[in-house]
Amino acid sequence: MASLRYHFAILSAKATRLALRIMGRGATTLPGKVAVKFDPLLLQKLCSGRDCVTITGTNGKTTTTHMITDIFRNCGYTVVTNVSGANLLSGVTTSMIFGLKDMKKAEKAGKKVICVLETDEAAYGKIACQIKPKVSVVTNLFRDQLDRFGELAHTRDLIAKGLDTCEADILLNSDDSLVSELYKGREGRTVFYGLSEESMHYNNVTYPDKSGVLPASSDAEYCTGCRTKYTYTARSFGHLGAFSCAKCGKTRQKPRFYVEYDLSKNPSDEGYELSLCDGGASPAKEKRVKLPIPGMHNFYNSISAVAACVRMGEKIGDTEGLSFEKCAAALEHVEAAFGRMEKISIGDKKICVLLVKNPVGLDRALSFVAGASDAEGIYMLLNSNIADGKDVSWIWDVDFESKEFPEKVYVSGDRYGDMMLRIVYSGVDRSRIIAKPMEDCAELLDQAISDSTPGKCLYILPNYTSMLALRSILVKRYHLKDFWK
Amino acid sequence: MENKEIELRICHMYPDLLNLYGDRGNVLSLIRRAELRGIKVKLVPVSIGDDFDENDFDIVFLGGGQDAEQNVIRRDFVEVKGPKVKDAIEHGMVFLCICGGYQMLGNYYQEHDGTKIECLGAIDVYTVGEDVRYIQDTTYEADFLKVDGVADSGKLYGFENHSGRTYLGPSVKPMAKVIEGAGNNGKDGFEGAIYNNVYCTYSHGSFLPKNPRMTDHLLRIALKRRYGEEYELPELPTDCEDFARAALLRYKEKGNTAP
Repeated sequence: MASLRYHFAILSAKATRLALRIMGRGATTLPGKVAVKFDPLLLQKLCSGRDCVTITGTNGKTTTTHMITDIFRNCGYTVVTNVSGANLLSGVTTSMIFGLKDMKKAEKAGKKVICVLETDEAAYGKIACQIKPKVSVVTNLFRDQLDRFGELAHTRDLIAKGLDTCEADILLNSDDSLVSELYKGREGRTVFYGLSEESMHYNNVTYPDKSGVLPASSDAEYCTGCRTKYTYTARSFGHLGAFSCAKCGKTRQKPRFYVEYDLSKNPSDEGYELSLCDGGASPAKEKRVKLPIPGMHNFYNSISAVAACVRMGEKIGDTEGLSFEKCAAALEHVEAAFGRMEKISIGDKKICVLLVKNPVGLDRALSFVAGASDAEGIYMLLNSNIADGKDVSWIWDVDFESKEFPEKVYVSGDRYGDMMLRIVYSGVDRSRIIAKPMEDCAELLDQAISDSTPGKCLYILPNYTSMLALRSILVKRYHLKDFWK
Repeated sequence: MENKEIELRICHMYPDLLNLYGDRGNVLSLIRRAELRGIKVKLVPVSIGDDFDENDFDIVFLGGGQDAEQNVIRRDFVEVKGPKVKDAIEHGMVFLCICGGYQMLGNYYQEHDGTKIECLGAIDVYTVGEDVRYIQDTTYEADFLKVDGVADSGKLYGFENHSGRTYLGPSVKPMAKVIEGAGNNGKDGFEGAIYNNVYCTYSHGSFLPKNPRMTDHLLRIALKRRYGEEYELPELPTDCEDFARAALLRYKEKGNTAP
């Protein structure tokens, strides 16, 4: 009976995909949604007996998923993974259904299979119990669409709920006070990753952040246990850093996997080098690598991806094929995904798209652009559809004031007025900004590209639905292949 | 320049805890529209454990926070700083309070389960928490901002996000009429509160940036209080803000142009 239900579900998903394709539409979530109606435990059946990694948290999910996928592939594994954004039950199920063929083929041939699944942080509690991951990565927790997710402590509790429905080894960000406290009660299966404390200290002292008029709004200044203000000896960005609570003694845990870095070189530049370290061995292992995707936030994504793969190797008994050295080396070959800092050539001009969905993401992107030596123009798009969050006031939580803007500034999106004003209020002269409504965003893109000089780069910072619009403009107007599907 | 010696001292209360939905944009607005007029701005963060002395400031900003954060500050605000804040308000200190900050100045906040949380009681309002949360764009009309011949001068634009319903006592006036949105309680058609020089609103985030005449009003009364009635706030254009207001109106008419 169960088996019949299962086959019906799979069949319904295939039929749905066929119908969607005939209509010329993408099929990243609906097939799974239909299938789950037939068999609510379909995902559990698809994941059963397979080795799964889940990635959840506020920022960096897609990039980390992408990195883990590439590392496993480079190490000879067959990987099934989900499309960015399709990270709810329906999307994860869809990806697993359509990955079945590859998985079965590989399994028959005796090849190793891994499922790498990005999961929405608010849905984690409901999804993890079906996936039963062997390794679970939690990236970070930052404020994000508070109208949808509610408060951060609530999101953290939802993740905790998911972690307790499985026996996964948990990889936690040691520098995020909200994330790291998830280890309580799960000590035996928690592994920490983060930035080297010595590196944070050294860089804070030697290359301190520029300070703006007002500090950016922070998410976790106070100890969640005893409500005392944390003391930081160093920070990386946002509330991430070496924190401790003077009253209850809560403090940053020393990570097993960590990054040693030096900001005298610019992490916005291609070819930036850092050291990935595994302190689990004595002496610690260290591998010098080129950061595959630029930007300081990718320090965290890189080390967590390597940590997840190494840990999976230990868990499934492939410490040889997934050794620290091999995983770290494989990381260098990762390429950026669309909207995640990939540089795209358009004729002799270059653009780079950085998806920005929440305050700390925007802060990192602005910082990145300010540091990029080829930045000549910036094009910001702000929409306020339901998927973006209806409230755009979060742009005021970001410290624009301390960021230097490129010479030419373009603004669009349904909320172009809000974004224009935010930029002007940070001190950029109004005459440097061209602001147009969303309907004109394609023409404005034409103008921005034609204004740019060969060899320089136009940085485009859209939020979620404006990125979807931008992607289709790039496909239609500039004939780029739709690599994103 | 006569403005050479003019100085504005802003007290930003609990900036590390009450910093939700872009409230810091309001402080940035006060700073910007003061500095563009050549006024020297001194910004002082005052958080838990810090002393609050009304003689040090011309204007106080109190924003909203997450529940957990508001619980952290409640004791410090109500019990420790409370008497001094009340005195400052009675003496006519200029305050701008948003959402949680607004509620905390009132008599009490009644939670969904009936539990009453005692608040400062500096202004005669109380708030009752309900299940349905008001989350939407808002438009209000404030008579005290109207300028003859400037079409939308009395209009205030904002975004509300609150589950509390606030009711005003007789000594408190509403700040504005609701044109779009729920306002104080979704029933009486009013938004916010004014008591002495205290201005309260549920409008989060970019409230002052998009309402430059409100920003100027606060600057004006704060500086007149400090430098005397004869003080005149210098003229300053509002063209960038008006551009953003026009863009917002356009958005309100057309809605989202989703792909």
